[in-house]
Amino acid sequence: MEVKYLDLYKQFNDDELWGKVKDVFSTCQFIMGPQVEEFEAGFASLCKTPYALGVNSGTDALFLALKALGIGSGDDVITAPNSFIATTGAIVAAGARPVFVDVGPDYNMDVNLIESAIAPQTKAILPVHLTGFPADMPAIMDIARKRNLYVVEDAAQAVSASIHDKPVGSFGDVGCFSLHPLKNLNACGDAGALTTKSKEIYDKIKMLRNHGLKNRDEIDCFGYNSRMDTIQAVVATHGLGKIEEITANRRENARLYDDALAHLAPDLLFPEKKNGFNPVYHTYVVKVKNRAELRSHLEKNGVETKVHYPVPNHLQQPCARLGHKKGDFPVCEQQSESIVSLPIHQSLSKDQIFYVSDLIKQFYNGR
Amino acid sequence: MKVEYSYLREQFKDHDVILKKISEVVKTGDYTLGTAVSEFEEKFAALLGSKYAIGVNSGTDALFLSLKALGIGPGDEVITAVNTFIATAGAIAATGARPVYVDVTDEYVIDPNLMKKAITSQTKALLPVHYAGVAADMDQIMEIAHRHGLPVVEDSCQAISATLNGQCVGSFGVTGGFSLHPLKNLNVWGDSGMIITDNDKINDTLRSLRNHGLRNRDEVDCFGYNSRLDSIQAVVGSHLIEDSQWITETRIKWAEKLDAALSELADDVTVPKRRPNKRYVHHLYIIMAKRRDELLAYLIDHDIEAKIHYPIPLHLQRCSAHLGYKEGDFPVAEAQAKAIITLPSHQHLKEDQIDYMIETIKSFYG
Repeated sequence: MEVKYLDLYKQFNDDELWGKVKDVFSTCQFIMGPQVEEFEAGFASLCKTPYALGVNSGTDALFLALKALGIGSGDDVITAPNSFIATTGAIVAAGARPVFVDVGPDYNMDVNLIESAIAPQTKAILPVHLTGFPADMPAIMDIARKRNLYVVEDAAQAVSASIHDKPVGSFGDVGCFSLHPLKNLNACGDAGALTTKSKEIYDKIKMLRNHGLKNRDEIDCFGYNSRMDTIQAVVATHGLGKIEEITANRRENARLYDDALAHLAPDLLFPEKKNGFNPVYHTYVVKVKNRAELRSHLEKNGVETKVHYPVPNHLQQPCARLGHKKGDFPVCEQQSESIVSLPIHQSLSKDQIFYVSDLIKQFYNGR
Repeated sequence: MKVEYSYLREQFKDHDVILKKISEVVKTGDYTLGTAVSEFEEKFAALLGSKYAIGVNSGTDALFLSLKALGIGPGDEVITAVNTFIATAGAIAATGARPVYVDVTDEYVIDPNLMKKAITSQTKALLPVHYAGVAADMDQIMEIAHRHGLPVVEDSCQAISATLNGQCVGSFGVTGGFSLHPLKNLNVWGDSGMIITDNDKINDTLRSLRNHGLRNRDEVDCFGYNSRLDSIQAVVGSHLIEDSQWITETRIKWAEKLDAALSELADDVTVPKRRPNKRYVHHLYIIMAKRRDELLAYLIDHDIEAKIHYPIPLHLQRCSAHLGYKEGDFPVAEAQAKAIITLPSHQHLKEDQIDYMIETIKSFYG
């Protein structure tokens, strides 16, 4: 049996979707067409925030959020070291310095370590809802309020995740989402979105994403070109109609793995689960012994797995100038050596999940 | 008769053919930086006679990433034209460098003599703009650049296939940035851009910078950005680039007809002087007109969708307030801003529409 990590073709081989894309040709408004606003309204409602904006990518969502908050040269932004490099990259692009804190057993920022990372130049906390599991936002918001810091949520992997029914992206000053083709809610190319409660931040980012233009002829501030393509907005809006089902399928797949693999501890360990925290399983990441051998056993049997990510941000070459070394973030480093992402996407069948689970059981029981 | 400015519906009336090609790409699941992108990059490089073409998210990013690849940032100055679209100056400001504006010539492009005078010890690059599809005076600009040891990034966003002495713009400097925005001569279905270069090292740096600085899936060489050309847009670009010669030639044909007819109105209308060693691709067909605002209203009243690119030069925009310029600093561009008008001149116009525009303008002044 073949179990691919992703099956985008299954998702995009959809006549209804391409019919909607074709409608764009009746007006040919490829830039900032009314479909972008339609997506924004739908996305704001999904995230339970008053405002949402479509932008060019999840990376740009983070960058524009920091810019809109006036964060730049000389400022510190606190984040997790185990995210995709774009999180750190966006902080650096804004001109600020990324300051890492180690993560906990849920793969998210350890809230107990945040306070000691705060310095006079700290301007924001940028938690990442990695794997689609919400970071501990109530605790992070408490710290931010107490220390007068902005909070920008990196929800790139976590659309629809929630804590006690409050969606991620609605806690901080700005929530940043990716609609990259590999994401739960995806476009057919690069796209991203932002959410905010603040009209002021909304207005600012709206201007920044479109060259700082106030109108066609007048420019208020230097800005960027980071618009969501109309066509991608159509694709994403189509996805909004399916996101509930996508999330439900991924949660069900995760439950099947959980049940099937529970007895394999300590060879295989699940991330911590928390009461009221409702993940969306962008990735299904477990910690395993003998990772390389397990992965090759699965691969030999047609199962594609990934590692998100084998090298933490602080050990990547461009972070050398931040003065980090191996050992600085022991939990994250230890995780990076043992984590593996199993196929979890919404189009998998029960049989495929059982097949993967059986192979894993066979691997550990047979040794 | 109606003369529309936009031509997208005609340009993409064969969208079913393109969508079919897109559906082939969709099957592969390869939606960012796939083979569709490399194929388009090769065609683009071949069209302009450059060694490399690198697909990015927009023309703005093409300029921004070029400057970043050259290591330009805070404390540096980059010299550009004062009459360009804001994105040129925005790209400079986005690197942290300071845009330094220079006045323009009678054909709306940066004045090389004034550019020379604007060079200071902080100047790190020259960024001429091939405005409206008019090649800047690259022979003089390259000479200045060599003398001062400055790299040149060409803003060719409006000037695909424009030439000076037979050489395509974008290929004079270390890089040339192009926009494939839907309003451009070669356009796609959303934001996209392209950078051309002959420099191996710059090519490698740009490919890394546009994709998060990634060397491979797991290793990062430098901090970068997310500025990729979508695969589906590459399919559109690859399809349309086959028509590129026809697009350019048709625009030139209409512009030459307009030039000849409007030159007869020399008391009221100024057609920019055309140099024999330049190929003008007329992304924007801009003339200077007396009683411009009245003419604009008259044309719109007669269903001719004329526009102004742009009524306010960059130094008088609020975004430039901190740069310390004032009215009067760039007299040529300021005078042009008050007199310029852009007429539709795209490749999907018919001869009777061009004739109608000419008659209408003549009747306004007559």
